Amino acid sequence: MMKDHIVSAYDAQLELVSSNLIKMGGLVENQLKNSLQALSNKDTSFAEQIIFDDHKINALEKEIDALTYKIIAMRQPLANDLRVVLSALSIANDLERMGDHATNIAKRVANVKINLPDAPTIEIVKMGEDVQFMIKQVLDSFVKKSDKLAIKAWDSDVNIDDSYLNIYRELLETMAGNPETITGCSHLLSIAKNIERIGDYVQNIAEDIHFIVTGQALERKSEKRINWEDLNQ
Amino acid sequence: MNKVKISAKNIDVFYGDKQALFDVSMDMYEKEVTALIGPSGCGKSTFLRCINRMNDVIDICSVKGNVSIDGHDIYDKSIRVESLRENVGMVFQKPNPFPKSIYENIAYGPRIHGMANSKTDIDEIVENSLQKAALFDEVKDRLHQPGTGLSGGQQQRLCIARAISVNPEIILMDEPCSALDPIATAKIEELMNELKKEFTIIIVTHSMQQAARVSTKTGFFHLGKLIEVDSTETIFSNPGNQKTQDYITGRFG
Ligand SMILES: Nc1ncnc2c1ncn2[C@@H]1O[C@H](COP(=O)(O)OP(=O)(O)OP(=O)(O)O)[C@@H](O)[C@H]1O
Ligand SMILES: [Mg+2]
Repeated sequence: MMKDHIVSAYDAQLELVSSNLIKMGGLVENQLKNSLQALSNKDTSFAEQIIFDDHKINALEKEIDALTYKIIAMRQPLANDLRVVLSALSIANDLERMGDHATNIAKRVANVKINLPDAPTIEIVKMGEDVQFMIKQVLDSFVKKSDKLAIKAWDSDVNIDDSYLNIYRELLETMAGNPETITGCSHLLSIAKNIERIGDYVQNIAEDIHFIVTGQALERKSEKRINWEDLNQ
Repeated sequence: MNKVKISAKNIDVFYGDKQALFDVSMDMYEKEVTALIGPSGCGKSTFLRCINRMNDVIDICSVKGNVSIDGHDIYDKSIRVESLRENVGMVFQKPNPFPKSIYENIAYGPRIHGMANSKTDIDEIVENSLQKAALFDEVKDRLHQPGTGLSGGQQQRLCIARAISVNPEIILMDEPCSALDPIATAKIEELMNELKKEFTIIIVTHSMQQAARVSTKTGFFHLGKLIEVDSTETIFSNPGNQKTQDYITGRFG
C-alpha cells in the first residue's frame, strides 16, 4: 500500500486527479453503452440526449488538465507521482477522444433517416459491448493499480479487431448483394470503425497504466493485426 | 563511462561507541557530479568527510574500511594529510571567507603550499581562480576589499575560487547553496556544470531538484546506510528501492 505524503494537501490533489479520471472513465463507458442502446433501438431522441451529454466529458478533461498543471507547478512531482500526473494528462486526452467516438455513433443514429440493416447492427452492438467491457477492465486496472489487469485489457483488443474485420466483410457482402442497402451499410461501417477506434484508445490507456505501476513501457506485440489483404479474396 | 576516481569500500564510522555509517561502499567517477541525498542525520556529511579525512580532526571519530583515490588508499600511513586536502577541496554550507581581502582569501593557499612566490604568479592564480568560479568580473575592481563584504552567493563563489586555487582534482560540497537565494543558487549550479569538465565533484544537498539538475549519479543514505546509488535519472524517475521512492516523493516519516 502506498504511504501518504507528509504534506497531506499533496495527497488530496493527487487523489482528486485519480477520482476525476475514474469519473471521466465512467462517463465514457456510459456514453458508449447509451449509444449502443440508441443504435439497437434506433432511438433518435435518446441519441440527441447522448450528443448533449458529451460536454460533461470534455469539461472533466479540462479540469484534469488544469489540476495536473497546478500539481506540476506547485509540487514538482517525482518518480511514481510524476508518472501518475503525466499519465493522467494522456489518459484524460484518450478518454476525451473515446467520448467523441461514442458520441459519433449517437450522431449517426440521430441523423440517419434510412433503415440500418438489422443483422449487422446486432453484430456491431455486440462488438460495442465487448469494447465497453474493455473500458471497464482498464478502469479497474487503474483503480487497483494492476499492471496484469491492464495487460488483460490491452490483449482483449485482438478480439475487437477480429470482430471488426468480420463485420467489415459482412457489410461488403450485403452491399454487393443489395445495392439499396449501400447507404445504410456505409453508416454502419463508420459506426463499427468508431467502436474499433475506442478499443485502440483502451490499449493506449492500458499502456499508461502499465507505466504508472511498473515505471516501464509496455512492450507487447499483438498476435494478430487486421490483414486487409484478406479482404481482396 | 568515466573512470572511477574515488572508491569507498566497506566504510564504518563511529563517534565514540555510536555508529554513524554502516558498511558503505560507493564508487564516484572522474569529472562527474555525484549527489548525496538523505534525511538529516543519515551520515552524508560524515561520508563526505571520509574522502578528505576531515573526520581525523574529530577526537571521538574512528573510520574503518577503505577509501582510495585513483587506486591509492588515502588512509595509508605514507599519505600526507596536507597534500590530500590540497587535492580534495571542500566547500561548506555557510560561506566562510577569511576576514581578509578577496585577493588574500585566494592567495593564501597557493602561498602556504609553495605553489607560487612571485607577485605576478600569485596575481595570475587569483585571477584564474576567480574566473573559474565565475566571480572575477563582479569583483575585479575591489580585489583588496574584505571578502566578508560580498553577498552570500558571491562569498560562496569566493570559497569555491579558494578551493580551486590550489589545483585540487576533487571538490567536496556540503549543502553549498542552502543559504543562497534561487538566483545565486542557479549561478553555483551553472558553475558546477563548468567545473565538472575539470574536477570531480561530490555534493551533499537537501534539494531533490538540485540533485536532479546538477548530478550524473545520486546516492541515497538512510540511517547510516547507503540504500541505493544509481544514475540520477533513474533515482528520480524510477528508483529501485521503496525507501528511496518514499523519500524523494516526500512520503518519509
Ligand atoms: N562530531 C560529531 N560527534 C558526535 N556525533 C556526530 C558528530 N557528527 C555527526 N554525528 C552523528 O552522526 C550521525 C550522522 O551525522 P551527519 O552530520 O553525517 O549527518 P548528515 O546526513 O550530514 O545530516 P544533515 O543533513 O543534518 O547535515 C548523526 O547521528 C550525528 O548526530
Ligand atoms: Mg550534513
